[in-house]
Amino acid sequence: MRSQLGSSHPGVLGLHVPGDGWLFRSPVGVKYILLLALVVPVLFFVTWPATLAALVAVLLLLATSGILPPRALRLGWMMWLILGMLAFFHLMTLDPVAAFVRPGNLLVAILAARMLTLTTSTPDLLDALVWVMRPLRLLGINPDQVALAVALMIRSIPYLLGSVDDARMAARARGLERNPARLLTPVMINAVAYAERSGEALVARGIGERALAD
Amino acid sequence: MIELRDVSLVVPASRRGDADRSLLTDVSLQLGERRICVIGANGSGKSTLLRLLNGLRLPTKGTVTASGFDTASQGRQVRTRVGFIFTDPLAQLVMSTPIEDVELSLRSLIKGRTQRGARAMELLEQRGLGLLAHQSIHDLSGGERQLVALTSVLAVEPQIIVADEPTTLLDLRNKLALRATFAALPQQIIYSTHDMDVAGDAERVIVVEAGCIVADGEPGMAIDHYERSMGARR
Repeated sequence: MRSQLGSSHPGVLGLHVPGDGWLFRSPVGVKYILLLALVVPVLFFVTWPATLAALVAVLLLLATSGILPPRALRLGWMMWLILGMLAFFHLMTLDPVAAFVRPGNLLVAILAARMLTLTTSTPDLLDALVWVMRPLRLLGINPDQVALAVALMIRSIPYLLGSVDDARMAARARGLERNPARLLTPVMINAVAYAERSGEALVARGIGERALAD
Repeated sequence: MIELRDVSLVVPASRRGDADRSLLTDVSLQLGERRICVIGANGSGKSTLLRLLNGLRLPTKGTVTASGFDTASQGRQVRTRVGFIFTDPLAQLVMSTPIEDVELSLRSLIKGRTQRGARAMELLEQRGLGLLAHQSIHDLSGGERQLVALTSVLAVEPQIIVADEPTTLLDLRNKLALRATFAALPQQIIYSTHDMDVAGDAERVIVVEAGCIVADGEPGMAIDHYERSMGARR
C-alpha cells in the first residue's frame, strides 16, 4: 500500500540490512575513521589518480564485506543526474580533469557515507553519536536529543527524495512537469507536514522528552 | 482510568476578525471500561478528544488525568502509561526498519544494545513480524505497518492504548487481524472509528458531535443514535 505521506527513495544513504562481513562487525568508530581516511585526502590532492584510487578503495572495502558494486552504486537517479551534470559542466568548460575529479570526489564522499550507513544500524549509530557527544552535557546540551535529531535527519532523506518523485509524477499527470514552482511547493509542504508528524509521533511515544539512554 | 473534567478546547481563529473555534465544549467523562469506542462525523472532535487523553493536545479549560497524572503538568508520566496509535502508522514509525523502531521504544528501558536488539526481535516475533524485522517500513503493507506501530507502542508496556481510527487505512483482512489483536490485548483500549462493526466490539461507545458528547452508553444505543443523526436510519 502506498503511503498517504508519499513513497520512500532507497538511494543515497541506503538501508542497513544485517550482514556478516567485517565492516558489519567493526565498531562504528573504526568506520568513521575509514570514512575520513577516504574523504579527507581527496580534498587536498585534487588529482584524477587520487580520486580514482579513493573510488577503487571504497568499492573494494564495500565488496570485501559483501556489498558488491551494483548495490553500492544504487544511489537513485537524482544523484546520478547531479553527478552527470557536474561532469557535463566541467566538460563544457574544457576541463576534462575536473569533469572526473569533482563528481568523482562527491561520489567518494557518498560511497564512504554509504559504507557507514549500509553496515551500521540506526540504533548503533545513535549509541555512537551519544557517546561522542557526551562532552556537550557540560554546555547543557542533551547528547541523546542531538543524536536522535541526527538519526531522524538520516531517516528523513529517503522520504524527502521520495516526496520529490511523488510531486514530479503528480505534476506530470497534470502536464505541469516543466514548471519547477509546481514541483517545489508540494515538496516543501510535504517536508513541513512530515516534520510536524514526526514531532507529534515522538511526543506521543514519550521519546525525546525522556533521556534516551538513561 | 482516564478522567476528563469540564474540558473545553478552543483554538484561535485562522483569520483576523473571525471568532475563535471551539473543538470541544465542556466534556466530562470517566473512562474505565476495557474497550471504549469514540464515533462521530469527520471534524466532530473525535481525534481532538483522543489526543487529549495522552497529552498530545492540552485543554484550554478543565483537566485531563490518566492514572491520576495530569496531562498538562505531568505529561511524561502520562505518556509512559498511555500509548498512542495514529491512523497512518507511517506517521509514527520514526526509524527505517521495524526492529530499529521497536529498539527506539526500548532505549529508555534496556541499556545494553545486544539485549535491546534481542528483546525487539522477540516482540516482533510475538506479532508474527520476525521475518520483516529488517525490511524498510516503506516496503510493508498497511496492516504490517500498523502491527509494527502497535508493537513499538506495546514495547514500553503502557497500561492504556489510545488508537485514532486504527483500521481506516486497512483492507478487510488486515482490519480483521487488527481487531483480533486488539481483542487479545490485556490493556484498556480507547479507539475511534468510522466502521460500525469495529465500534460494536467495544463495551461502551461515545458519540461526538460538534465538539460535544451527544450519546454515551452501550454500543447498540449509541450506534443507533449516531446512524439516525447521520440520516442512515429513520
